Amino acid sequence: MFETVRYEGKRRLRGAAVLTAGVGAYAGFIIWYFTVLEGVDYEDVFSNLPPAMLEAFGIESLSTIEGFLGAQVFNFVWLLGLGLYFAYVGGGVVARDVETERMDLLLSLPVTRSRLLVEKFAALLVPIVAVNALGGPIIYLFVVAVGETIPPDHLFLTHLLSVPFLLVCAGIGLVFSVAVDRAAIAERGAVGTVFVLYLVESVVGGAEGYDWIQYLSPTQYYEPTPTLIDGSFEPIDSAILLLAFGGLLMISQALFERRDV
Amino acid sequence: MSDETDSPLVVEELTKDYGSVVANDAVSFTVNRGEVFGFLGPNGAGKSTTIRMLLGLLKPTSGSAKVLGADVRDEAALTEAKRRIGYLPAHLGFEEEVTGETMLDYHGAMKGEGRRDELLEVFTPPVERPIREYSTGNKRMLGLVQAFMHDPDLVIMDEPTAGLDPLKQEAFNEFVRDERDRGTTVFFSSHVLSEVRRVCDRVGILRAGSLVELENVDALLHRSGKHVRVHANGAAVAEITALDGVIRPERFAEGVQFIYAGDVNALLRELATHEIQDVELGEPPIEDVFTHYYGSREDAAEGDRSGEATDPTDSAGGTDV
Repeated sequence: MFETVRYEGKRRLRGAAVLTAGVGAYAGFIIWYFTVLEGVDYEDVFSNLPPAMLEAFGIESLSTIEGFLGAQVFNFVWLLGLGLYFAYVGGGVVARDVETERMDLLLSLPVTRSRLLVEKFAALLVPIVAVNALGGPIIYLFVVAVGETIPPDHLFLTHLLSVPFLLVCAGIGLVFSVAVDRAAIAERGAVGTVFVLYLVESVVGGAEGYDWIQYLSPTQYYEPTPTLIDGSFEPIDSAILLLAFGGLLMISQALFERRDV
Repeated sequence: MSDETDSPLVVEELTKDYGSVVANDAVSFTVNRGEVFGFLGPNGAGKSTTIRMLLGLLKPTSGSAKVLGADVRDEAALTEAKRRIGYLPAHLGFEEEVTGETMLDYHGAMKGEGRRDELLEVFTPPVERPIREYSTGNKRMLGLVQAFMHDPDLVIMDEPTAGLDPLKQEAFNEFVRDERDRGTTVFFSSHVLSEVRRVCDRVGILRAGSLVELENVDALLHRSGKHVRVHANGAAVAEITALDGVIRPERFAEGVQFIYAGDVNALLRELATHEIQDVELGEPPIEDVFTHYYGSREDAAEGDRSGEATDPTDSAGGTDV
């Protein structure tokens, strides 16, 4: 029981550590940069930008540390960077083993395809949890270090709510991973899909008549900046993400059951 | 499982049709408990396709197969049976970054590893090193340890000796014989007839997608002659190829190669009378053996080789011997 998730999870530890360190370092830089910018009336600077752009980058109140972090770290790293990263990683979960023919060996073991798939995917929780569980405290400590404050509960919520979003991105990767034979194609397909959805959501957000399209994008259902600023969030958004993730997992299972490897 | 007297492998009309090509066309055979069955065929004949269907990696287009009593289409039953199956794929897609030890730990946790230490004394891959540093032979040995370490009842191997040096190959043959004597059923594929001849109780040849069982491999090999390659000048080549028993001579720049079905001593005497730079005597390619023995079956398409093949049996009927 759980041999695969243990094995694969261990294999993800180093990647998770590098990812967390990288994200932490970037957050540290941004927080330091916030102190440099203090006194600059940059909301004026951005007020000339088109609303779609403000929307796309989630620029709300840049004069507070919460707003600044929301725009520069969460909208940029969590929503876009990590979203694409986990789509990419999800794309490799099955396709890479099929490509190297490692899957032949794995499926010769007494394990069903669905179980193998779920356990391999579950190992992705290692980097997802690490980047949030360690990234959160790192950000908090940096903020305190520069003499600012941020409500810890808001920060915690922002990280927690990112998990369903990242699961959906990884799930999109997983569907690609079981649908094609080559890892590079699955990875590119997944990254491309998440990126296009993100762009589409940003662009059509204000377009009347077509604004329904934005609801197709997972990025629509995770809004870190308001959560950081006042702790507000829509529970329905997380529910939709979890439901979508369940659907993606089921599609992956069905495709993996049927395919030849 | 339920009925221990069942044959470990029962394959009936197993077919894999990829649309553009039929990889397996109604392949049928049975492997009995405690025997070593050699599954022969030229490269590309569909051996791996059959093996991968037996393990549930590929879905058969039609037909059926039972492995240790489990239907290959019934995933739950087949998964349960896999506890007692060892598998060595043709291409060992190990994860390159981990050590052999880590890989064995993982596979051992999944299916058992009671005989791991004992096997690591016979086959000696450097388990403490990352697999990416392994030679082909070391990978193969690691694969063999992995295939046998849970003491399976049935072991399926796809080209197991590819990449093993002759000494390890001999150790492998010895090992397979011992395994059989312990009651393990072994099914393995190869494209080298002489190799399987030494260890197999029975041999089947997969050709053009369907299987023909061979009852007497030695006789087959004997009758199919030798593959001869001689480096010599033109005059010598002309005289050598005039010998009785020379089939399908093919000239190349430095000499000639042919299949020789006559008396080897006569050939050696003839060679001794010429100035020869180099000579190789070996087993003919399996496709040649087959064509030679059974004659051309549906072979108009492969016509270039069928013309000269002498034909000891009735040409058309060769589907079972």
